[in-house]
Amino acid sequence: MISQVIMCMLATVAFAILFHVPRTEYFFCAVNGAVGWITYASWNMHGAGPVAASLWAALALTLLARAFSAIRRMPSTVFLITGIFSLVPGSGLYYTSYFLIVGDLARFMEKGTETLKIAGAIVLGMIFGLVLPQGWFNQLGKLLHPSDH
Amino acid sequence: MPRSKEILNLAVSIGEVMLESGGEIYRVQETVGHVLEAYGIGDYHVFVITNGIFATVHEQREDAGSMVRYVPIGEVNLQRVAAANQLSREISAGECKIEEAYEKLLACRKDKGLPKWLLILSGGVGCAGFGYLMGARPYDSFFSFFLGMFLEAFLILAAHYKTSKFITNILGSTLITAGSLIFYTAGAGILYDRVIIGGIMPLLPGVSLTTAIRDLFGGDYLSGGIRLTDALLTSMCIAIGVGAAVKAFQMMGGGVLPL
Repeated sequence: MISQVIMCMLATVAFAILFHVPRTEYFFCAVNGAVGWITYASWNMHGAGPVAASLWAALALTLLARAFSAIRRMPSTVFLITGIFSLVPGSGLYYTSYFLIVGDLARFMEKGTETLKIAGAIVLGMIFGLVLPQGWFNQLGKLLHPSDH
Repeated sequence: MPRSKEILNLAVSIGEVMLESGGEIYRVQETVGHVLEAYGIGDYHVFVITNGIFATVHEQREDAGSMVRYVPIGEVNLQRVAAANQLSREISAGECKIEEAYEKLLACRKDKGLPKWLLILSGGVGCAGFGYLMGARPYDSFFSFFLGMFLEAFLILAAHYKTSKFITNILGSTLITAGSLIFYTAGAGILYDRVIIGGIMPLLPGVSLTTAIRDLFGGDYLSGGIRLTDALLTSMCIAIGVGAAVKAFQMMGGGVLPL
């Protein structure tokens, strides 16, 4: 688990570089990616299944991205886009197309539905995270930047 | 040029930088509005979609101005989004004259960004890391690392020659799959599927999906729909690329691949 978290942080920073994130924010992107993955892995470990785990992970990393955005004075997109990649169902997409090509239609349907459900869960998780009013996060920013007012 | 037009041009240009670099619709719309207000224009209308900005100021007056910009979806560059955001904050706080703002915007546009070798290296690290998360062993991640670097180099080349996005995605995923299958057939003893899954990571439409949700959530259904379509089509292209390589492998006598 610890090695996975470290690899997740490394990979998230690598993607942050690919998306030209400002240098000062690499660490926060990595933390966001790691929190997403830890949430996903721990829900998955307790038998929640990948769909529910993706939902909670997307919720956690959206909230954290918004908190970071208030604290660091950055658009929240910076943390959200880099963090979400540990959840995007790449393996589901691969197996779906693989089963389609080898003609195993039963498993194609199974994997395809699961991939769509994971994508839907990420969408729902992010929407729940976006619903909280921005004012709450701004309060957090004000607490940490008292010199502004 | 009347002053209102000059201000409008500045505001729309800042919005353009944000939009083409991956900013969300509502952020672009708000930024353009804030800049116009900061320079004393209260009567304005701004309409933004994924690949265009339309704006008018002082419609009923002598110095009326309007502007339409076509903004093709560009490379994601969050540094620019952040810089444009910062610039609009400074303008709103009244710390920046129009000429200064123009200079800053130009500097932000000219910023060349990171060296190519660093991008290629990060492509490799990203593929290896995410491959590891999806169940690859360190030994397999090693192969993902090299395929990832190869893919990133290909993506940079494709962007340089302005290749269509569909072709880039299809060819990119074919390259990864073929590479992994070649190593597998050569007897490297890798979990070839995990190597592929790690390798296609940079192609996945994570950015489009995220931006689609944010646009839809902000009530910009048209732009959200465009992004969502982009995400779906990209996924389909990746599936086609992977499928084509697997099929070709089977037809060349590779037989049924073990899972």
